[in-house]
Amino acid sequence: MHILGVLLPESYPVKHALTQFYGIGQKTAQRLCARVQIHDRARIRHLNQGQITALTAFLSSPANSPPVAAQPLAPPTFVPPPLGQPVRQVEAEAPPDSLREIKIESDLRRQMRENIAHQRMIGSYVGRRHAMHLPVRGQNTQSNAKTARKLNRVERYN
Amino acid sequence: MLLVTALRTGRAVHPTTGTLATPAGAVAQTRGYAAPAAKNAKKVSSKFRPNAGKRRDSKRPGRDPGLFRPMSVNNLTHPVFESEQRVALQLPVFRPEAITPTAASKALAFPQNESNLLKAYGLPTNILVDYLLLSKPCSVVREVTVSLLDQLDNAARSSSKDNRVVLTGKPGCGKSYLMVQAVQYCSQKGWLSLYIPRAISLVNSSTSYVYDPRTQTYGQPAYAQQLLKRFVDVNGSLIRHLTLRSSYPFDERPVNSGEPLLNLINVGLEYQHQASTALSALFDELAKQTKYPVLLAIDDLQALYCRSQYRDPFFKSIKSYHLTLPRTLLEFVSGKRVFARGAVLGALSSQNTTFRTPLELIEALGLEPSGPSNPYVPRESEIVEYAKGLKNLPVPEKLTVDEAASIFELWQQAKALHLPQGDEPFLTKYTEAGGNAREFVQKGLLQTVAM
Repeated sequence: MHILGVLLPESYPVKHALTQFYGIGQKTAQRLCARVQIHDRARIRHLNQGQITALTAFLSSPANSPPVAAQPLAPPTFVPPPLGQPVRQVEAEAPPDSLREIKIESDLRRQMRENIAHQRMIGSYVGRRHAMHLPVRGQNTQSNAKTARKLNRVERYN
Repeated sequence: MLLVTALRTGRAVHPTTGTLATPAGAVAQTRGYAAPAAKNAKKVSSKFRPNAGKRRDSKRPGRDPGLFRPMSVNNLTHPVFESEQRVALQLPVFRPEAITPTAASKALAFPQNESNLLKAYGLPTNILVDYLLLSKPCSVVREVTVSLLDQLDNAARSSSKDNRVVLTGKPGCGKSYLMVQAVQYCSQKGWLSLYIPRAISLVNSSTSYVYDPRTQTYGQPAYAQQLLKRFVDVNGSLIRHLTLRSSYPFDERPVNSGEPLLNLINVGLEYQHQASTALSALFDELAKQTKYPVLLAIDDLQALYCRSQYRDPFFKSIKSYHLTLPRTLLEFVSGKRVFARGAVLGALSSQNTTFRTPLELIEALGLEPSGPSNPYVPRESEIVEYAKGLKNLPVPEKLTVDEAASIFELWQQAKALHLPQGDEPFLTKYTEAGGNAREFVQKGLLQTVAM
C-alpha cells in the first residue's frame, strides 16, 4: 500500500512500516500508532479505511493535523448510560501533544538544509567544515574522514 | 532438537520409530475462529527460471515414470513392510458419571463431538503442545479434580458471589489441566460455559481496540466477535430456550425483550463494531437468567490485574479495567456483578513473565509474596477492590504415584517414548521431577525423544 508516495508493504507490522518515512523512527511510529488506535501486532493489510485516512491526514502535515480529543476513562464505580440514550460529552483536559511538532520528509530536509546554510552564512567553524567537505564535530582527519569527504556539503539533504 | 521444540517451531519432524499413521481426531487449531486469511498475493513468475514464460502444452500426454511410479500401500503385503502399528489411544470417555473418588488417577479422553468445546474455545499453549503429540485430547483425573468438581456441583444452586475460586500452585502442578477438566465437566452437566484459555491475549495489544464514549472504555471488537461465535458454537443448544429480559436498541437492528437471546448475539456476529456492546449485554442477560448455571473460567487470570500493553492516543499505558471485556471479567471475578446461578473459576500462570501476579492479588489469595511486601510498597486501591473475596484453591504440587503412573502409561500407549515399560524407568523419571507434572512429562519423559 502507498501512503503519500511511500510504499508500505502489506505484510509489515504497522509500527515498523511507518519508519519508512524520513523523519519517523521507532518511537515516533509507536506514538503515531497509539494516536490512531492501531494495536502492536497490526499489519498494514489489517488497517481499515478510517485509520488509513487518519494516518495520511497526519503525515501530510503534522503541524496542521486536528488535535486529538482527550478520552476520559471510567473509574471502577462508573455505570454507563443504557443504549439508545444520547451520550453526554465530557470535557476533559487534553495532555500536551508533542507529535504535532515533528517534521517529516521534505519539511525536515529543508530545515536541515537551512541550518547548514545559516552556519555558512554567519561564517562559523561548522559552516566552513561543511564547505570544505571535512568532519564537522572534531573527528580525526589524519586518517578516517572518508564519509565526511563523501557526504558533507553545504547543499546536503537536498 | 527436542520433539516438543520441533513442533513448536513448526519444523519437519522425522519419525524414527516406524511409520506413524495420521493421528485420528487430533485437536487441530484451524483458522475458523481467527481473522480471515489475507487475500492471496498475486504470484509473479520469476524471470530467472528457464521455463518461466512458456505455457505447458496441454495436448502432450503426461510423462509416464514407468519403473519409478510408487506402489500403493495395499500392494506392500510382504511381512518386512509391517511396522509397529500406531493406533489411536483407547481410553474411556470423560463423563460426569465417570468422575468418582474411585476414578482418581485414571486417564480419560475428552469427547470429540460436533460442538467440540476444546476446539471451539482453544487451549492454553502448553496443553495444546501436549495434544499435538498425543493422538487424543485426554487428561488424568486426580483427587483434586474430584474435590473441585464436587465444589462446582454445590455451586450450581447458589450465586457466583460465593463461588469465586482461583487455582494456585507451583509452576507445572496442573492448574490449566484442572481448569480444562472443570470446563468440560460443567458443559456436560448442562451449565453454560464461557472459557478464556489465554487471558493474556486480551491485554497484550494483539487485537484491535476502539474507544467507546458511552462506556468510557476501550472495546476490542474483533476479539468480542470471536468470543460470541465460540460461545454460540458451544452453548447453542442451551441458549435456544433463553429469552431477553431487557431491550437493546442497537442502531442497525434493535432487539427487544422477550426475543430469543440468539438475536442479541447475532447482532454482535454481524456487525463487528457492535460486538463489544453485544458481549456486555450478553453478560448482563446471563447474570440475570436462572435456568442454567453459568461457569466463567479464565486461565492466566493474573494478566487481568496487570497493566495492559495498549496505549491511549497520548501514549499513556491503558489499565486493564479500562478495557471493556477485561473490566467485565474483573467485575464478575470480584463479585461486583454476579451470576444468579454459577461460579467463576480462575487460574494463575507463571509462564509469561511480562504479566506476573501483582502483589495485590498475591495478598488477596494469601500466597507468599516473591518481592517486598512492606507497607511502603504501593498497592493500587482499584486492583485491591477487584481482588476482594477470592477463594484460593491450592493445587497439590506433587502428583501421587498412581497419577504419575497413569500419565506414564498414557504416553507409553501413545508410543511416543523411547523408554522401556516397567517400574524402574518410571520411578527414575518421577523422582527426578520430584512429582511435578510438567517436569515429569516435558523434562522427564519427552527428553527421551531428543532429536
